[in-house]
Amino acid sequence: MSVMGPLKGRPSTGSGRPERVEVRDVVVAALRARLEAALDAARQELVASTERGEGGRQALARYSEGVDGIVRELVDAARAQTSTPIAVCALGGYGRRALSLHSDIDLLLLFGGPIGRPEERFVKALLHPLWDLRFTVGHHVRELADFDRLETDNPEFLLALMDLRQLAGDRDLADRFDAVLQASSGQWHPQILEALVLLTDQRHSQFHDTLYQLEPDVKEGPGALRDIWATRTILKLGGDRRHVPRMQPADWLSEAEEFLMRLRSGLHLDTGRNLNVLSYELQEKAAARLHYTEPDGRRQAEALMTDYFKHARHVTRALGRVRRAALPPPPTPIRLIGENLMWVVEGITFADTRSAAENPVSWIRLFEAAVSRNVPAADDALALIEKEQETHHYRPETFHPTAEDRVRVVQFLRPRPGLSARLSEMRDSGLLGAIFLEFNEISNRVTRDFYHKYSIDEHTLLTVRNVERLMNHPRFGPVLRELRRPELLVLTLLYHDVGKAREGNHSEVGAEMAAAMMDRLRLDDEARQMVDFLIRNHLKMSRIAFRRDTEEPEVVKQFAAMFNTEEHLKMLFLLTLADVGAVSPDTLTPWKEELLWRLYVDAYNQMTLGYGDEIIDRKEALVAGLQASRPADVTEAEMASFLEGLPRRYLILFSPEAIYRHVRLSRNIGPRDAHFFLEKQSESWELTVVSLDKPFLFSNICGVLAYFGMDILRGHALTSLSGLVLDVFQFSDREKFFERNSQGREQFDRRLTDVLSGESDVTALLSGKESSVLFRRGPARREPVVYFDNGHSQRYSILELVAEDAPGLLHRISRVISEHGIDVDLVLISTEGQKAIDVFHITRGGAKLSEDAEAALKANLERTLKESA
Amino acid sequence: MKLIKAIVRPNMVDNIKEALGKLNIAGMTVTEVRGHGRQKGHTAVYRGREYEVSLLPKMEIEVVVPEGSVDEAIKAIIGAARTGEIGDGRVFVMPVEQGYNIRTGEKDVV
Repeated sequence: MSVMGPLKGRPSTGSGRPERVEVRDVVVAALRARLEAALDAARQELVASTERGEGGRQALARYSEGVDGIVRELVDAARAQTSTPIAVCALGGYGRRALSLHSDIDLLLLFGGPIGRPEERFVKALLHPLWDLRFTVGHHVRELADFDRLETDNPEFLLALMDLRQLAGDRDLADRFDAVLQASSGQWHPQILEALVLLTDQRHSQFHDTLYQLEPDVKEGPGALRDIWATRTILKLGGDRRHVPRMQPADWLSEAEEFLMRLRSGLHLDTGRNLNVLSYELQEKAAARLHYTEPDGRRQAEALMTDYFKHARHVTRALGRVRRAALPPPPTPIRLIGENLMWVVEGITFADTRSAAENPVSWIRLFEAAVSRNVPAADDALALIEKEQETHHYRPETFHPTAEDRVRVVQFLRPRPGLSARLSEMRDSGLLGAIFLEFNEISNRVTRDFYHKYSIDEHTLLTVRNVERLMNHPRFGPVLRELRRPELLVLTLLYHDVGKAREGNHSEVGAEMAAAMMDRLRLDDEARQMVDFLIRNHLKMSRIAFRRDTEEPEVVKQFAAMFNTEEHLKMLFLLTLADVGAVSPDTLTPWKEELLWRLYVDAYNQMTLGYGDEIIDRKEALVAGLQASRPADVTEAEMASFLEGLPRRYLILFSPEAIYRHVRLSRNIGPRDAHFFLEKQSESWELTVVSLDKPFLFSNICGVLAYFGMDILRGHALTSLSGLVLDVFQFSDREKFFERNSQGREQFDRRLTDVLSGESDVTALLSGKESSVLFRRGPARREPVVYFDNGHSQRYSILELVAEDAPGLLHRISRVISEHGIDVDLVLISTEGQKAIDVFHITRGGAKLSEDAEAALKANLERTLKESA
Repeated sequence: MKLIKAIVRPNMVDNIKEALGKLNIAGMTVTEVRGHGRQKGHTAVYRGREYEVSLLPKMEIEVVVPEGSVDEAIKAIIGAARTGEIGDGRVFVMPVEQGYNIRTGEKDVV
C-alpha cells in the first residue's frame, strides 16, 4: 500500500496502543479534511459566480488558485519522500488558470535527478490524494535530463509546455528547466507550430470545418476556446505580433474568451461533468443565466447563439490571421491585378483604401478577383468593408447601379472552386447581406429540429460548397457542367431557405422574398421563372425519392410533369443533392444519392423518351385555359384543330402567347408552303417553322441554318396526327451573319423559302462548306453514342444520339434518317457545351422500326458521325 | 422475445411504423441498406449509355417484440409493405436471449 494511499485511515493494530502510524493517519486525515474544505470552498465560489452569469476568466482564475493551494499543500506534505530537487508545474488550461468546475488538471512533476523509489513514493503521495479529491489528473513525470532530447512524437505535451506555470518545489530547478526550454526553443518551436496547425485542422475537420454548429462545443469547436488558446500559442511561438493590433480590435479575443468561459462554466454546472456541448436543451438555461432579456426563452436562446457565432467568427478570423502571419508565406508576388486591386501574401486587397471606401461597387470586384484566383480576400480589405458598413447605410442597389454591374453580381455566382469560401467572407464582412438583403434575415438563425446541425445561413453556404464539390463527381459533375446558367443554381441556393426567417410555408415565403431580389437585379423572365420554380419546389425531389415508390411509372410521370425543360430537372436534382448534403455530414448517404439519381434518370427519360405517347386531350384544363384566354383573332375551332394530336408536352414547353402565334402560322398552309417566323432573343435567335409533313423537311431546315453558320443550341420538332409539323430552333449566330449583313434576314428568309419549297438543294449548297477547313473541327474527344429504344414508347422507335457537336451535324444525321425512308415525328435537340444530345422519335410507314431497319440505320449513322469528326 | 427484421421498400417505412404503432410497438431501428433478392435490379439507360442497377436501395426495420405479439407484428408489417410486385421485401424472425436498458441497467421483461 502506498504511503499516501490510505487517506481513509488504516486499520488499527488491535493493541489499543497509539502507534506512529496512527499519528500519521491522524495527520493525513486532518490534511484531507482541510483540503476537502478548501476545494469545497473554491467550488462553491465558482458555482456562485457561474449562477450569477459571472463564471468567466476571473472566476476561473480564482478557482485555479484555490486548486493551486491544494497542490502546494500536498507537495509540501509529500516533499519528505525524496531529497531530489523537484518542481511541480501546471500545464495546459490549468497553467493558464482556466480550470472549470470539472476540468482535468494537467501537472508536470519534474525531478532534478534520476527517478528511483523515493521519487515514485513522492509521485504517489501527490497523486493519490488528488484522485481521492476526485480530480482527473493528467500527469507527466520527467527528469530534467529527459529534455536534452525533444519529444517530437508527443506534440500535445510540447504544446502543453507552452502554458507551463510553476506551482511548487525548488525554484532553482524550475529556473534551470526554463533555461533548458529557452535554449532549445529555436529547435522545438517550429515543430510545435507545425503540430499545432495540424492538430487544429484535424480538430476542425471533426466539425465539418464550420463554426456555425447549432449545438456547438464551446471548448473544441471551430472558433471556440481551444482556438483562442491556439491563437495565443502561435503568437508566443513567433507569430508576427506587430500584425495583431493592426488587424483586430485588441479586445476581440478577450471578449470571446470571457463569453465562452462563462458558457463553459454553466455547462459544467448544469451537467455535473466535463461536458462542453451547448445542446438545445441547455441553450435557454444558459441564455437566462447570462441575463438575456428577450421576451421568451426561445428568443433568448437565439440571441445567445447569435452572440456565440459573432464571437466564434472573431476567434476564427484572429486564428487565421496569426496562422498566416506565423507560417512561411506562399511564393506570391505582390502585384497589381486590376483597378485598385492587389494580390498580396494574405490574398486580394485594395491598393488604395480611401478610394475603395468611396466605391462600394469595387468590393464585389475584389471578391471576383479572389474567386478567379482561388485565394482569400485579405483581412485588411475585409476589415475595411466591414467598417464602412458600420458607418454608412448602403442600399443593395449601391453595389450594382448599372446593368453591367447587375450582370457581374449574378455571374459572380458561377460555381467555381473557392466560391463558397468567398461567399462566407462576404457574409462575415456583411457584404452578402448588404447585396442580398433578404439573406440578412437568416444570418445566425437556428433551425431547431432533429436533422440540421448548422445555422440556416451556414447551411446555405454549405450547399454552395457542395455544388463546388459536385463539379468533380464522376456521375453528377457532367450534369452540373451541362447547365446553361449554373449561376442561377447558386442564386437559388442563397435564397432557398430565406423563408425560414418568417412565418408560413418557407418555400412559398422564400420565393416571394426572392422576387424582391430579382426585381432589384432586373433578372430576365427565364431566370426569374427558374429561380421561383426551384425555391417553391426545393423539397419535392427528396420527398418523392425518399418517400414515394419511384418504381411506379405513374409517380415518375407525375414528377416529370413538374418540369418545363430538362434544365429545370437538372437544376432541381443538383439543388437537392447540395441541400440534403448540407443538413449534416452524414445526411447524404450513398443510399440517398442512389435514390435521387434513379429518380433523376427516370424523370429525364420520361421527359425525353416517353412524352410522345401522351397526346393532348381537348378536355384537359390546359386546353380549356388556352381556349378561355385566346385572342379575338383565333377561333375555337382552329385552336382545337391545331392542337389535335400534338404531344401533351407541347402545352408545357410553350407559353400561351407562343401557342397562339403557332396557330396563326398554321393558317392557310398548303403542301409546298412553309410559314416561318424569325425572332431575336436576348442571347440567341429563335426560328419557328410550321409546315405540312414531307420528306427531308427537318433535315432541310437544319441544312439552311448550317449554311448560314448558325449554331443550333436547342429545339423541338413536333408532328400532329394530321401531319402538321412545328419545328422550333434556338440558335446562336456564331459568325455574326445577321449583325454584319444589313440584308441578312431577307437573304435567310429567301433561302429558307427556296429550300423548303424544293427550288433549292441545301445539300448541294453545303457541299462546298463541308469540305472547307473552316467548317471542320478537331478530332472528337468522345465516342459518339447511337442508341435505340423500342420499349419506352408504344408508337415510336426512339433514337438517342450523343456526339461531339459539329457544324451541320443535325443536318447530316437527319438526312441519313430520311434517306432510309424513315419519318421524323418528334425531335428534341439540346447542346450542352461541346456535346450534342438529340432524341428522335421515328417511324417507318406509321410503325416502329424493325430490328433490321434499326441496325442498318445505326450503321449508317455511326459512319456519318465518324466522317463528321 | 423475438427480433423481427424486415427488408422493405424505402417508401413503405411510414406505413409500417403506423401499423406497428397500432399494436403499441413503438421502438424500432431503421437502417438504409442496399441489396437484392429475386428482384435482381435492372439495366437503366441514361443518355444512350447503359448502367447496371444491381443493388437496390431498401430499408431494414428491426423490432423486438414479446413472443405473444410476433404473429400480429408480422401481419402488420406484411400488410403495410405489400404491393404484390417483386421487390416487396422479406421478413425474418429471430430469437432474442436477453435485452438490457443501458440507461438504467435493468433487464428487459417481455
